[in-house]
Amino acid sequence: MGLDAWSLVLIFEVVVFLSMFPLLVFGWLMGARGRDPIRDAPFESGQPRMGEARRRYMMQYYPYLIMFVAFDVVTMFLFTWGLAFSAMPFAQGYLFIIFLVVLVGPLSYALYLSGKRELW
Amino acid sequence: MTGLLALPTLHDILGFVLRIITSRTFLEVIIFPGFLNVMLGAAFLTWFERKVIARVQLRIGPLYAGMSGILQPIADGVKLMFKEMIFPELADMKLLMACALGLMLVAAAPVIVIPFGEGWVIANMDAGLIFVFAVISLFPSLILLIGWGSNSKYSFLGALRSLFQQVAYEIPMWLSVLGIVMLTGTLNLTEIVLAQQRVWFIVPQILGFAVFFTAVLAELERIPFDLPEAETELVMGWMTELSGVAFMLGFLAMYTKLYLMSALITALFLGGWSGPSILPQPVWFLIKTFLVAAVIVIIRGTFPRVRVDILLRAGWSKLLLIALANVFVTVIIIWLGFGSMWGI
Repeated sequence: MGLDAWSLVLIFEVVVFLSMFPLLVFGWLMGARGRDPIRDAPFESGQPRMGEARRRYMMQYYPYLIMFVAFDVVTMFLFTWGLAFSAMPFAQGYLFIIFLVVLVGPLSYALYLSGKRELW
Repeated sequence: MTGLLALPTLHDILGFVLRIITSRTFLEVIIFPGFLNVMLGAAFLTWFERKVIARVQLRIGPLYAGMSGILQPIADGVKLMFKEMIFPELADMKLLMACALGLMLVAAAPVIVIPFGEGWVIANMDAGLIFVFAVISLFPSLILLIGWGSNSKYSFLGALRSLFQQVAYEIPMWLSVLGIVMLTGTLNLTEIVLAQQRVWFIVPQILGFAVFFTAVLAELERIPFDLPEAETELVMGWMTELSGVAFMLGFLAMYTKLYLMSALITALFLGGWSGPSILPQPVWFLIKTFLVAAVIVIIRGTFPRVRVDILLRAGWSKLLLIALANVFVTVIIIWLGFGSMWGI
């Protein structure tokens, strides 16, 4: 059957879904049910519960997420460059190398800033 | 035109079903490179890991279910299926179950493009490598949803750590395979394997292999990078509040990911199915895959855990720089004219 790649992806995912969803239903039907305030409390190592879980957390590592947003796109463009690289003459290939070398500068400055945790 | 109005007979229906069941596509999707292969591989790996770690720690490991405990994963699965699904009172139960199912869907998806042999692939996609990376990058969001939905501190902290870790190691992981893409000029995994018939990519891309392997350990959240489920700090990380079948799906998804990432390392760096023709191609592929998985498991048995700030900085500074160095090495290889060894 000459199916294209994306319909095969869809078929495979449907197969996985159809075999896993009944397990959830089965587990729901077979397992015991009931409410109990102690048992339904979130696990906190046996201690009485201390406040809500959905609150503000200190994100000391937030700058790393910002760096991801910035350098993620660069990486994706690198792939298009890499695909064409071996067919590229030297005169066009070296420009991107210079770009990569220049990229190390901002990258290390971003790393330096994200290492100063008192800023965040 | 009378054929349109006539109802199909039982013979027609049976013939149609038989034609579908015996078609190569169906067999590929359901049995060999597809669903059954993934499930059995992941289940086997749970047993394999317990056995190998037991050997590392001078224990025996699972013993009673089947021959040397080989049926233990099935026993565990049946046990978990009959367990009560306990969710915390303020947790979003439907979200948790949906995300556990989603993890399984996402974890199994890379098998679609991984070639287990020449032609032993479900979809020979031209953008196969990008497909794998796109699918893998869905994990952090699902894990964050599980952490948020559980409404439990351990889960949420585990999910946050998982998010940071996977995000920090995604870029070195992509950059480390850039060298392979440059050498072969393709993103199709079958063609990448075919390009290493003479020399495996682990030889010219040894730096890339080191970075990719480390990044895979971090993406899999395994020791030495298992901070998201550090048992001594966070109980079970983002899986703390999953129970019953939902836990089984999350757990199975992690082992599916382990299996398929080992397969991806095999296809990218270890020559895929290539090997002496005394054994069929998929057998070679599976042997290499389980060897890679064995290395990952032995690392779990022997190494301590790293600290979270060291982990993030190492991912962003050292690994990224080594991956960039690997790109430069590849550039030099190509400019010196050795690129033709990998089929350009």
